[in-house]
Amino acid sequence: MTALTCRFIKLADGLLRGAPVTVCRAGAALQSRAPVIQCIRTHRTNTWWDEHLTEDNASFLKKVVTEEYKQQTTDKLNPLKDEPWPRHEWVEGSRRVGLVAVKLGMMPVWTKSGERHVVTMLQVQDCHVVKHLSKEEYEGHTAALIVGGKNVSPFHRPEGYLEVFRNAGVPPKQKLTTFCVSDNAIIKPGTPLYAAHFRPGQYVDVTAKTIGKGFQGVMKRWGFKGQPASHGQTKTHRRPGSLGPGGDPAKVFKGKKMPGRMGNIYDTTHGLKVWRVNTKYNILYVNGSVPGHRNCLVKVRDSILPTRLENNKNPPFPTFFADGDEEIPEDLYDQDMFQFGEPMAE
Amino acid sequence: MLMAARTVCQMLQRRLASSAAAACLSSAELCSHRSALFSKEQVRQRSLYPRTEKIEVTLQGPGLQGTLLVMNRGLSTPYSCTRHLTEWHVKSSALALVDGQPWHMHRPLTHSCDLTLLTFKDDDPQIANQAYWRSCAALLGHVLDRAFKDEFSVELLKLPEVPVTAGAFCCDLVLDSRLDSWTPTEENVRSLTRDALQLIHKDLPWEPLEVSATVALEIFSHSRCKQEEVEERAAQSQNGTVSLYRCGDHVTVSGGPLVARTGLCSQYEVTSVHKVGECEWGVLRRAQGLSLPLNLTVRTSDICTDCERKLIFTMGYSAI
Repeated sequence: MTALTCRFIKLADGLLRGAPVTVCRAGAALQSRAPVIQCIRTHRTNTWWDEHLTEDNASFLKKVVTEEYKQQTTDKLNPLKDEPWPRHEWVEGSRRVGLVAVKLGMMPVWTKSGERHVVTMLQVQDCHVVKHLSKEEYEGHTAALIVGGKNVSPFHRPEGYLEVFRNAGVPPKQKLTTFCVSDNAIIKPGTPLYAAHFRPGQYVDVTAKTIGKGFQGVMKRWGFKGQPASHGQTKTHRRPGSLGPGGDPAKVFKGKKMPGRMGNIYDTTHGLKVWRVNTKYNILYVNGSVPGHRNCLVKVRDSILPTRLENNKNPPFPTFFADGDEEIPEDLYDQDMFQFGEPMAE
Repeated sequence: MLMAARTVCQMLQRRLASSAAAACLSSAELCSHRSALFSKEQVRQRSLYPRTEKIEVTLQGPGLQGTLLVMNRGLSTPYSCTRHLTEWHVKSSALALVDGQPWHMHRPLTHSCDLTLLTFKDDDPQIANQAYWRSCAALLGHVLDRAFKDEFSVELLKLPEVPVTAGAFCCDLVLDSRLDSWTPTEENVRSLTRDALQLIHKDLPWEPLEVSATVALEIFSHSRCKQEEVEERAAQSQNGTVSLYRCGDHVTVSGGPLVARTGLCSQYEVTSVHKVGECEWGVLRRAQGLSLPLNLTVRTSDICTDCERKLIFTMGYSAI
């Protein structure tokens, strides 16, 4: 409204001075009300850039333009010989890197409606990107990034293992994992990765080596029912029973579930919700249980389940950089999670 | 008024001269030029002893009292003395004391003397630690010299003499005037650390050379502030000589002896690069770092890079 009156005043001035008045002033006003940078007025009237903008729009434009110029100047000034790699924006269908974390333990959380869930705490300790493998080097379809977690001493490792870390300029790590990433998500080797890479409300897949159970029978290993404890069973309570059909194949098929060594293999749990992220100690609070014992190293990445892709939109891409300007609070909570000290619903 | 105009003209001339001179030779060419002159001087000094003369070197130290070694004058170094002993002596000696004076491990012995080998684990490692700190600062200077693109000129100033107790070693430098508003990011500092670690892994020896002021001025003919430093050091020294050290092909001036090889540094990290103020050459920046020798290591997470990131000393140790 103030813009209109001002314009009228200006219009009066223009009329007085005999300046040409065009019909599409209203159109120009509509256009300049939207805060876009390119509000180029192609009219012949002399005016200044914020004449038809509200105060909020004018201050927003000033801020946006200074930020853009600052970004451009910093982009051009890279005086060191090895330049930082470009950072792209998230696009639908791009895959970004994951993290290596340490499983700390489990604890309960409550939702705002009072339901109790259990979460596993995964701490990201000294996670760095160690190597970049381009599409050609890796497999021909996607690029890969090798990520390492948890520093170890270099004295008990072979020289070939230490060489990769020396080229990246990071201390040697205990676990190395490979993540397949899309080309717009590659990160320079040596960059640290933090827990703020994931945000509450996202869904993740966690891969780890399961606890080894040793040589186990068929009931524990494959969940067979076994046989009854009494009613005449002779020496048959936990045995597999029949091994397959009879005379026609006259053999036991390959892959028949039998007793054997159980556990100590890599297994993935899909679709775990992130309830909370602590940025001070780099801890992710992930729903449910995760394979592996306490203090084991796990591989965490964005979930590939098709029903959970909606929740993983617009993540920090390609990762969360600590030297950026954004300030995030120490604890990030999911919307549904109940924080102690809040007023209860009922 | 006239004086002010003259100083302004001089300043402009210096800045333009240094940037123009640096622009016509890239940093790699400059390094190779200096290195070639250094080698020439080294060969000339070695040719001063055409005949092999023997000197007697008495070793002092725990377990070595009175061991007599017969070495060559002008050719044998304390390093070659350690090679007559054991591999442990070769690997762990950082510095030598010749008649009580700190002596670089690769500097030739010129007369019969008493030799003491210093390591970092002695009862009184003061001298060795100070030499180590100086070497880390020299290494930082080497890394900074190579790290920038050829179009930007880098001038390394006199390495400030910092005690080990201060907590970090530093190196002062002045960058091209186009970079006055540039602040290095975490990633830039990390890439400097990576370059330093690669240099350490190459295990290059530091080669010392005592040269007269004229030769030093010729070696640093392309850099005005280096020439000033050479003149200053020559004026301060007893016989007008300046000690130069070469590592790889980077030549630097130092006020005291450095340790034997880059491989003696094990945990090296560049913590930050700050702007300190203005000087006659431009915006003065100070790069700080932390390092520990090979035999005294701590867990990597214990090196508190966050607290060292603050500018520790501003007033006490001005560079110029």
